Amino acid sequence: MSSINGSDIKKVVVACDAGMGSSVLLTSQMSKSLSPHGVAVEHASVDRIPDDADLVLCHSGLVSRARSAQPGTVVIGFQMFLGDPAFARVEQAVREGETIAD
Amino acid sequence: MPTDLRIGPEAVWLGRTARDKAEAVDLCGRLLLRLDAVQAAYLPTMHERERSVPTYIGEGVAIPHGTDAARALVKRTALAFVQFPDGVDWDGHRAVVAIGIAAHGDEHTGVLAALARVLSDPAKAERLRQAEDAATVVELLSPVGTEPAS
Repeated sequence: MSSINGSDIKKVVVACDAGMGSSVLLTSQMSKSLSPHGVAVEHASVDRIPDDADLVLCHSGLVSRARSAQPGTVVIGFQMFLGDPAFARVEQAVREGETIAD
Repeated sequence: MPTDLRIGPEAVWLGRTARDKAEAVDLCGRLLLRLDAVQAAYLPTMHERERSVPTYIGEGVAIPHGTDAARALVKRTALAFVQFPDGVDWDGHRAVVAIGIAAHGDEHTGVLAALARVLSDPAKAERLRQAEDAATVVELLSPVGTEPAS
């Protein structure tokens, strides 16, 4: 299990299989809520997650691939592309400076 | 960020029918082919991707696309909007709209941002699902977060 304090999150990476569909859509959504807090949001293929990612968001089916690609980085899985509670959890951790763990 | 792609009327097919998800994905792929956005070998990778993580995103909309490895088969970034008024079973969800994606860059970010905004507004989402002309789709999916056109 990995954890990070929301105030230490500077880069969130939304990962999906190809990095051309859902992760692009989610990146635009997350960026709207996180960029006011100084957090950069990028998207990537799950096999090409950048090393400086502080937190990774990906579909629950890809969590184990993301963890093995970036061991030690917090990986939060979600089920639904729109309105999954995972997105609110990440937003809250960043906004309130709370610890978030995977 | 390069977000200059827009959906034009040539990328909108309304009132189509598909017996199942595979047929719906194929129609999206055929429209991408017609737009000269992909090579034919891209289509099987769209099905491959559906088998790993399905692309239904909610509000009656799915966004089928190929795999990361299939990027080489993309000639240009494009989106293909196909509407199925009778609905298609998408792994237990009812999809009325499928938007095929072929991308090698981030040029389509603005359109997907517009899509996310439309789907978070139930009235707009309904307009998109029920669109009776391409102009409605083009208008609803005008890219957001982009520089004004010069």
